[in-house]
Amino acid sequence: MSETTLTKQKTRRGFGFYLRIYKKILVQDLKSKMSYRADFVISTFGMIMTNLSGFVTFLILFKNFPSINGWDYYHMLFLYGFSLVALTPVQCFFDNNWNLRFQVQSGDFIKYCFRPINVFFYFMSEVFDVKGLGQFAFGIGTLVYAWIHIGIPVTPLVIAKLVLFLLTASLFMIAIMNAAAATCFWIVGSGYVMVIMFRFKDFAKYPSNIFHGVFRILFTFVIPIAFVAYYPSLAILETDNIPVLTWCAPAIGVLFFYLSYKFWMLGVSRYDFTGS
Amino acid sequence: MENAITMKNVCKDFKILNRHEGLKGSIRDLFSRDYKTISAVKDVSLEIKKGEIIGYLGPNGAGKSTTIKMMTGVLEPTSGEIMVNGLVPYKERTKNSERIGVVFGQRSQLWWSLPLIESFKLLRDIYLVPKKDYEDMLELYRSLVDIEPILHKPVRQMSLGQRTLSDILAAFLHNPAIVFLDEPTIGLDVSMKSKIRDLIKGLNQQKGTTVILTTHDMGDVDALCKRIVIIDEGKKIYDNDIEHLKSYFGSYRTLRIRHADDTWEERVIDESKEDVMDVILKKQKEQKIKDIQLQEISTEEVIKKIYEGSSAAKGNSSVVTSDEKKGAAEQ
Repeated sequence: MSETTLTKQKTRRGFGFYLRIYKKILVQDLKSKMSYRADFVISTFGMIMTNLSGFVTFLILFKNFPSINGWDYYHMLFLYGFSLVALTPVQCFFDNNWNLRFQVQSGDFIKYCFRPINVFFYFMSEVFDVKGLGQFAFGIGTLVYAWIHIGIPVTPLVIAKLVLFLLTASLFMIAIMNAAAATCFWIVGSGYVMVIMFRFKDFAKYPSNIFHGVFRILFTFVIPIAFVAYYPSLAILETDNIPVLTWCAPAIGVLFFYLSYKFWMLGVSRYDFTGS
Repeated sequence: MENAITMKNVCKDFKILNRHEGLKGSIRDLFSRDYKTISAVKDVSLEIKKGEIIGYLGPNGAGKSTTIKMMTGVLEPTSGEIMVNGLVPYKERTKNSERIGVVFGQRSQLWWSLPLIESFKLLRDIYLVPKKDYEDMLELYRSLVDIEPILHKPVRQMSLGQRTLSDILAAFLHNPAIVFLDEPTIGLDVSMKSKIRDLIKGLNQQKGTTVILTTHDMGDVDALCKRIVIIDEGKKIYDNDIEHLKSYFGSYRTLRIRHADDTWEERVIDESKEDVMDVILKKQKEQKIKDIQLQEISTEEVIKKIYEGSSAAKGNSSVVTSDEKKGAAEQ
């Protein structure tokens, strides 16, 4: 291989390259998952049941409290659906974060460092969790249902806003999980950090203004769970009085994701790979 | 000829926290800055020519993996210089990894659920291998080993031998200048071992690939390597041809004598000190000998002697190179 072809190759590994590679891995992965039919059916069924039970709990709770802090039943439902959709990308594309600490501790993680592609991308591309798709369908259904009952007009602008703020919300959850998973490069008990962070996501489906001062500040500025549904959804639900934090959310989301990625990669570079 | 790898006075230290015992100790460790430094690799210099197969040996924990990790750009050396394919690996890890291939014994780097051919196609895309080169490489694989039975099998359904074979094929797929093989034949049966050795040898000859082979299996070394490098406790203790290895420690042979009562007596003879025939004649005068056997000392035994010798002579930093070896032979 000559030097000129090498440099040419390097410039070709851009966004399009990664997208193409991911698509190919995804198609192959889905093919192989479908070939394990029983596994596929059972996990799909399990996922539906999980969502259904969560939904039923939610219904029972809010049938008994018709309104909380000015949030009525359909608004709560909207928020619930919004959070489900926003949590889909972290579930589908970043699920391998859960395996990070095992691979780091066993030393298997080293294999991701031998390829001429981004380590973070390579690691995440290995797992696509199909269960997230069911959650996505469920979330969209809930969202549409609530949308119709609240009577929000359907205009291209509103749809664009919805997509933008759903993506924003996803970035926050992805960033939280990246950061939580990356702690395994420094500490042994990182599993707890991940579980705690993952549990926090349950608070995302409630409007932040029902929480008391300390928690509201905690969920907004320390662990930004409030950005996973509450603040972004206000962009659709409110017509005026939209908080400044909502408008800032997309920028903060991108920044937060970038920082979590840098933190993750810092872990990789600091890691000694002694576990061999 | 140009060097594939050059290492100059490379050292690697690890900082390790001094752990204390008990709950109190654990709490103390949380805030402790009490580190001790462990030198995994001490002042190693090495030159590896293009197209060589090098046996890289040493007892467990000698610093082999650490050296490999520095060559692949995963670890940064504490001091010293490394050049791999004209690049500084840790500074240009991505660029370096385009031109190397790595197989780590029992850790498969392939996509677990995919059939091998799909893994190959993904690797082709990742390494941006031109279509023609890819086809040619597959053709070469077919000529060296029977790949049809494994090509459409998912990696997770493969036997250990098939998986190792697949991993090696995958490591050579983008025609790298250097391939690192870490214990490629560990846990494999005899026939699979020889199949894999033939494959490595074939690929090395056909493609001129430099191969760095780490192993504890002297069969691998005998079958593949002309030159071996031995390190122990982070220091290079031997770097020369495999033939010189045996003579360096004197030419030892094992003499086995069968007595009249069918018992075997075994004696290791250092030919620089005594003659085999003398020993036999002397024995024959003492008692009747029914049979004799003469065995060459195996590479395995020589290596064992070197490991034992080096841990006995701790702190002795002498490295055996071809020049010094001549001196040693004269003494």
